[in-house]
Amino acid sequence: MTAMSWAAHPAEDAQVVRLSLDESERFSAIFDTYFGEIHRYVAQRLGADAAEDIVAETFLTAFRKRAQYDPSRAGVRAWLYGIATNLIGRHRRVEVRTLRALGRHGPDPDTPGHEEHVAVRVSAESLRPSLAAALAGLHQRDRDVLLLVALAGLSHEEIAIALGIPYGTVGSRLNRARKKLRATLGETNPMLESEEAGRG
Amino acid sequence: MDELKTVRELYGEPRLDPLLKARVRGLLTDEPRRRRWRLSWTAAVAGLAAAAVAMAIAVPGMTGEAEAPNRGATLSGRSVLLAAATTAESGPASANAYWRVRKLHRRTYPEQLGRGANRYWVVESRLTEQWVARDGRVWSASRALGARPGSEADEEAWRRDGSPTEWSSQGEVLSTSPEKGELRAVTGQVPFSMAGHEMTFEQLQRLPVTPAALRDWVTEAVSDVPAGTVDGVVADALSGLLWSKPSPPDVRAAAYRALAELPNIRYLGGATDERGRKGAGFSFTVQPPGARSGTAVQRTLIIDPDSSQVLSSTVTGPPEVRGEQVELVLAAGWTNDRPAVPELP
Repeated sequence: MTAMSWAAHPAEDAQVVRLSLDESERFSAIFDTYFGEIHRYVAQRLGADAAEDIVAETFLTAFRKRAQYDPSRAGVRAWLYGIATNLIGRHRRVEVRTLRALGRHGPDPDTPGHEEHVAVRVSAESLRPSLAAALAGLHQRDRDVLLLVALAGLSHEEIAIALGIPYGTVGSRLNRARKKLRATLGETNPMLESEEAGRG
Repeated sequence: MDELKTVRELYGEPRLDPLLKARVRGLLTDEPRRRRWRLSWTAAVAGLAAAAVAMAIAVPGMTGEAEAPNRGATLSGRSVLLAAATTAESGPASANAYWRVRKLHRRTYPEQLGRGANRYWVVESRLTEQWVARDGRVWSASRALGARPGSEADEEAWRRDGSPTEWSSQGEVLSTSPEKGELRAVTGQVPFSMAGHEMTFEQLQRLPVTPAALRDWVTEAVSDVPAGTVDGVVADALSGLLWSKPSPPDVRAAAYRALAELPNIRYLGGATDERGRKGAGFSFTVQPPGARSGTAVQRTLIIDPDSSQVLSSTVTGPPEVRGEQVELVLAAGWTNDRPAVPELP
């Protein structure tokens, strides 16, 4: 299919979604553009096995709800992350199990990337089990905000729109989550700098 | 150390399976048993979206004759639409095997190509064809006709860049040469959509045939779109019945009459499409301008009132999208031609 449609491009997202109302095949461009990063996010949170179905459901939901998509409020990217996050929320047990596995084994060692952070990774090794446990212990809603900042790199404004919560709530949830993590990491590693909350 | 960074390190990078994307696409399209996954967009159709145009074709022009653009269909704009409705009404019923639409598409590739100081915009063309059989089977064909530098300045920059005949950008390969093209049978898909709702061939045949009832039906169907966008989406859905779907003659007539009454359709006067075919131009905005900059999409249609066919559609906007997306309808209607890869124009 890919070869048969125009290359997708973020600048055209809103137009593509709008025109896909009457020409539904246009929506495949959205899939082509965002599949990679949405899959990455879902696979990080739920593991590769569960990710396939959830990612498929994310795009299916987006397709079905494309009429309600309002480009003046959210970019397509933030909109898709919001849908994925809501779907992830229905699989809390899978997420906790994934975190437990991450705490024990860490991410798949075969995966490339992050070579520049070897030092950080090594120091993180010792923190891994308690960090994973702390993440699993967060309220779902706080974890959603934290991970949309940490993994997806969304701004506070994008998160507020993606999750349908007030702007100020994004900051307070993020602060609460970071405080808990810092407490955990601080106990484990007294060298950890305390850092100002509320970035992102 | 920053705890967000620590969190990222914990999660790491998931393994990338090169077949994964195709597999998920398959989940969306190829598993009729899991009905909830059924989806029409990859539908084939994929071809429809795309399209193309030979570069030789002249720059589009609304050759306005006397009539100045106006808010709402003017008296003369309205009479053009009503005349088209009368023609549409007596159009042929579906006697042949396939409903077929053949289009030539053109757009500016959304990124500048080239190296160093030599950057230029490239225009891509594509030919697409879709066949729908009465029993709902769908075939889709698509053939890229080649990409070329857009303006003269772009062409000069392209020469300085060494006149490349292939580019790769964002994982896509563009070439100056035409493709052989491909034809595929599309399975498990609902072939049409209107205002965001899937439509089967049978549903199209059962649409209301009076203008008011058709407009109400469409308005009801789009009631879930964001406030302020309803008028544009209704206009787009009604006009879509004229050229991208096998609507029966009385539905097409009703769509033309309903459009004639919409306040947000602008009549642009006489117009000539890129193949030199004469008709009348109409335009509407699919998103309201002003709500927030960068969201307005405008569609201009050139229709031929004598045949009631839509000759071309030009989409412009939002402002960050460079150039226009032009679709020329080369053929739309019932045929006994069998699905095949389209010949070069």
